[in-house]
Amino acid sequence: MKTLLINTLLLVSLLASAPLLAQKEPLRVGMSGQYFPFTFVEQDELKGFDVDVMNALGKEMGRDIQYETANFSGLFGMLGAGRIDTVANQITITEERKKAYIFTDPYVYDGAQVVTKKGNTEIQGVEDLKGKTVAVNLGSNFEALLQELPYADQINIKTYESNLERDTALGRVDAFVMDRVSASQIIKEKPLPLELAGPTFSQITNAYPFRDNETGRALRDEVNKALETLRNNGTLATISEKWFGTDITQP
Amino acid sequence: MDVLNVEYMLGLVPVLLKYLPLTLQLAGVGMVLALSLACLFAIVRVLRIPVLNQLTIVFISFFRGTPLLVQLFLFYYGLPQLVSALTVIDGVTATIMGLTMHFSAYMAESIRAAIVGVDRSQTEAALSIGMTNSQLMRRIVLPQATRVALPTLMNYFIDMIKATSLAFTLGVTELMGATQKEAAGSFLYFEAFIVAAVMYWIVVELLSKLQNYLEIRLNKAYSR
Repeated sequence: MKTLLINTLLLVSLLASAPLLAQKEPLRVGMSGQYFPFTFVEQDELKGFDVDVMNALGKEMGRDIQYETANFSGLFGMLGAGRIDTVANQITITEERKKAYIFTDPYVYDGAQVVTKKGNTEIQGVEDLKGKTVAVNLGSNFEALLQELPYADQINIKTYESNLERDTALGRVDAFVMDRVSASQIIKEKPLPLELAGPTFSQITNAYPFRDNETGRALRDEVNKALETLRNNGTLATISEKWFGTDITQP
Repeated sequence: MDVLNVEYMLGLVPVLLKYLPLTLQLAGVGMVLALSLACLFAIVRVLRIPVLNQLTIVFISFFRGTPLLVQLFLFYYGLPQLVSALTVIDGVTATIMGLTMHFSAYMAESIRAAIVGVDRSQTEAALSIGMTNSQLMRRIVLPQATRVALPTLMNYFIDMIKATSLAFTLGVTELMGATQKEAAGSFLYFEAFIVAAVMYWIVVELLSKLQNYLEIRLNKAYSR
């Protein structure tokens, strides 16, 4: 009798939740598709660390993930206008962004890194950027990081939509600033004569931003829950190992 | 210098070709709408219809006087900020809207010029044999104006095909967007963009052929 009751209850709850699961709206995720190895395209296929993590989160939440690709500088505009629900493009948590958006728990811990053309002995770290031309992605957190330096007025900051790695390799700019793990991966896997200059100069933590309204908060909480599950069952670490050979999802 | 990666280029051709239809669709729909709008504007301007004429002048002045990219950003990012329901304007729609308004402003002026350019004696002759205004337009003025306007209109169409490459800034992955993403993944910029360039070039060349054919047909009555 008792098992029958439990079975019935189970069945009822299953029946009740099945249409709920099916009805879940897809999560609309914006990314540039131009930030190797977090999000990039190869032979028409969207790939990268952020894609893998998002897919795993979607599976965990029972939601389809609908990817929207646009230039990085346009992504926050799309988020603000409600065209996408969140951005998965190694977005760094900053005070500025926290005023406008709410963030999930961090899923990547990384550092800002100066990168130069191979053989550049002049620039050995962030202190040496004085009087130099430095490339950053338009709208990225790295631009803000450079502006915060006490000698910021002596740095000629050049903003790019994409392709700053190539311009540095060509010598059009003296260096670029990016997160350490991406920079290391590019140097390792891509045919560009670049090298890391010195240690990282600022800790960065990455998370998913959502709009600060009812739907946004609900989605954020849902993603947080899924993120915790993936962290605990080792999925996050596995994905990180696959792309970076190390676990960047732990502080 | 690195050697050109021909294998990569060949592999990219079928991938990028998949995005060519969207590029052509953006330009094709944009051209049909822009042409219709431009004809209306031109007629309003030629007949100097009160109020509409002034509105048209302001419209043309704005859309000819501001960059297409600014207009696209206005439609796509700007409008939904004012009225959140306008989020329904997706990237493709916003691009078509932008192309339509931008190019209709240019085309209206060249169509108006073509209409005004038809010799006054033609109008007088038509009216003297008792044609109505509408008959005069349909049978006498517009056929002659079309012949004059065709080359410049084709010019704008070609320009429009290339202008669709701005759509990627609105999140629309058309030919240029697909190329940019492939290039950012492989870091093989020359290879990727030269493939895209050749694709645009071939499309435009085919259109030039079409223009030649149309011009020959429209000029039949004038050949001696």
